[in-house]
Amino acid sequence: MTAGPVTGLAALQAALAAEDAAIFGYGVAGAHLSGTRQSAAEQDWTGHNEARDTLTAMIAKLGAIPAAAQAFYQLPFAVHDAASATALAAYLEDGVTRAYLGLVAVSDQRLRTFGALAMQGSAERAAFWRGSTQAFPGLEAS
Amino acid sequence: MPDILPRRRLLAASAAALPALLATAGCRSSDAFAGPDPLAGRPALSPDVVTLQAVIAAERAMIALYQVAVHNDLRPADRARGLEGLLGQHRQHLGQLLARLAVPSGAPSASSSPSTSPSARPITGPDRVTIAQLRAAERASATDLVRRLVTVPPALAQLFASIAASDATHAVALAGYGPG
Repeated sequence: MTAGPVTGLAALQAALAAEDAAIFGYGVAGAHLSGTRQSAAEQDWTGHNEARDTLTAMIAKLGAIPAAAQAFYQLPFAVHDAASATALAAYLEDGVTRAYLGLVAVSDQRLRTFGALAMQGSAERAAFWRGSTQAFPGLEAS
Repeated sequence: MPDILPRRRLLAASAAALPALLATAGCRSSDAFAGPDPLAGRPALSPDVVTLQAVIAAERAMIALYQVAVHNDLRPADRARGLEGLLGQHRQHLGQLLARLAVPSGAPSASSSPSTSPSARPITGPDRVTIAQLRAAERASATDLVRRLVTVPPALAQLFASIAASDATHAVALAGYGPG
């Protein structure tokens, strides 16, 4: 069974969910970072809050109710030091990149462009935290 | 098979009589086949294929730029290794793009259009490429891919978007190498 085409609304809700998870995750990561890394985490946390607000407004404009953030998110691994906090930040950005890539597959051309531009930002942040670039951000490694 | 010989004789007689019949009709034999040949037509390329070919050509040009940069920029070693890493990712982009390309047999595209041909051919370019030029090329590529992805099928659009994001990260990475 193959999945049908993703609607713009569903893709926006998925992007919103990813942003909410990133906001939560950066709160955890930032607590284990210091100096310029902590400043970078704070800046990224702010950016994800702004992106959440943007997505919330876009969803509401479509006449839908934005999915509410969860109180707690399961982290992919234990975060107990700067190294694991840095890895978490990269993980979060990868997830956000995948979510915005979903928007690129919808039929609405404006949403495609929005998603493509948004994933550039998250891919850049992921590269910062990872310390290296990727050939295909958001796509499975091939 | 008693009827084969008479049929062959009939066909031979018809072929021999054809020029005379055509002459009677006032035309040469070659004129009888001057109409459209449905078997000789070249299929038109779909807009998606044309777009993909243009993106492939651009990726080849990017690789050529990096090859010049890597060749002429062996110091410092860290920067040369970094450029080689980015070049390797562009080669991965090209591989994925080529894998999506399916040109109909006999289509006029690949060999007759130098600007969009995905075929392997030397690309002439500058003798020296600066980091600033690479950054500009990466940014331009990201912009171009986002512009093109709105009209292609979803899977191809996602590949374009992913490559554009990769190019955007390359531009940031190159900023750390200085202007030269």
